[in-house]
Amino acid sequence: MIIATSIIVLGLLGFVFAALLALAADYFKIEEDLRLAAIVAILPGANCGACGAAGCRAFAERLIKGEVAVSGCLAGGQDVANQLAAVMGVEQPTDVHKRVAVVHCGAKGSQRKIKANYSGVKTCQAAEMIAGGGLMCGYGCLGYGDCYCVCPFDAIRMSDGLPVFDHNKCTACGKCVAACPRKIISIIPYAFNVVVACSSRDTGAATRKNCPVGCIACKICEKQAPAVFKVEDNLAVIDYTRTGIDGGPAIEKCPTKCIIRIDQ
Amino acid sequence: MELLGIFFAAFLINNILLIRFIALCSFFGVSTKIDTSVGMSFAVIFVMTISSAVSWMVYHYVLAPFHLEFLRTAAFILTIAALVQLEELYLKKMIPNLYRAMGIYLPLITTNCAILAVAFLAIDYRYDFLRSMVYSLGVSGGYSLAIVLFAYVRDRMALAPIPKWFQGYPIAFITAALMSLAFLGFTGMFGL
Repeated sequence: MIIATSIIVLGLLGFVFAALLALAADYFKIEEDLRLAAIVAILPGANCGACGAAGCRAFAERLIKGEVAVSGCLAGGQDVANQLAAVMGVEQPTDVHKRVAVVHCGAKGSQRKIKANYSGVKTCQAAEMIAGGGLMCGYGCLGYGDCYCVCPFDAIRMSDGLPVFDHNKCTACGKCVAACPRKIISIIPYAFNVVVACSSRDTGAATRKNCPVGCIACKICEKQAPAVFKVEDNLAVIDYTRTGIDGGPAIEKCPTKCIIRIDQ
Repeated sequence: MELLGIFFAAFLINNILLIRFIALCSFFGVSTKIDTSVGMSFAVIFVMTISSAVSWMVYHYVLAPFHLEFLRTAAFILTIAALVQLEELYLKKMIPNLYRAMGIYLPLITTNCAILAVAFLAIDYRYDFLRSMVYSLGVSGGYSLAIVLFAYVRDRMALAPIPKWFQGYPIAFITAALMSLAFLGFTGMFGL
């Protein structure tokens, strides 16, 4: 008797819940845009957040709503923008320029002078909090690879204490820019191909004492290509809005060789 | 006053994680980041309250009249699994922001032993409906308190110089044990 009732009661209970779920599945059905899955498949899927959305899926939802343009995915570049344009049925955008991350420091491990031995936590963030990890230069790369750790595209490798960027893999998502406690990584247009590999705002004499490859603010680059180079605060900076000007002579004349091509 | 006693007994003195040692898998699994532990806490409070209400009704209005109390394990698992599915469907449609905030934690909670334990314990203590509601609120509040505190501790542990052999779970277990000892100090509070 008790076996029969238990089977019936449990069976009925199961049936009631199943029926409820079936009804609910129908009642609470969500019409999902078919393009959403296609767009998510095209996007890089790193959820890097460079576009301003919370992730690739959030970007896809905003794209369908028309809140962002097909070229909005910074990590995807031209290729992804073209595919998205095909899915969304709009014209292919032409304003997508490849941008890459570069580090404004050129001092390799042996070239860095230290004033103290650092034996704390091996991250740039921790080292920066404790007097720059004992580095003489207050601006240069600390070399513990915080940028390497956050890169979602595996585009950074550490070589002799400096991050080396694989420009084919780099998507300019900006994670390394945010991770660097010394703020010496920036995003530049790839086509420009020139970068000042120093961030030191010390005077020329002080920089020369700390580092053999630091910018000493000699202004030779400014004389060679005044439209592009400008020395401000004892540091040469490049105006990346100027295009079509050859920085070659400045690169050759730079006495400390701190102006370099990025694709070397 | 008795309700307050039930709440605090469940919240602090018989804390489900640190004194009863139930639901430890989620305690160690989702406490690595503060925001995930907060998300998990809210999902547990939400699911535990609703599921203990429904399982109380199932026990008293379906199982008890037929003298089928021994079936409560199967019946409660069925109830909770169906209920979480239902909640997920409802939230997805009606409150998508809350659904996104709780994210993966909702289906994860279906198999969380704390949910089932609360349904059982409320029956074992012979609580009526109101008392079992207060009890489940207390338990889920205690769960949230313990897991969020633990997440903050683990956040600090990530930066601490821990010997290699203790890194990861070993130090987490030791820390949880110390927290549990600290919570033992609440025993006897309010005469409970």
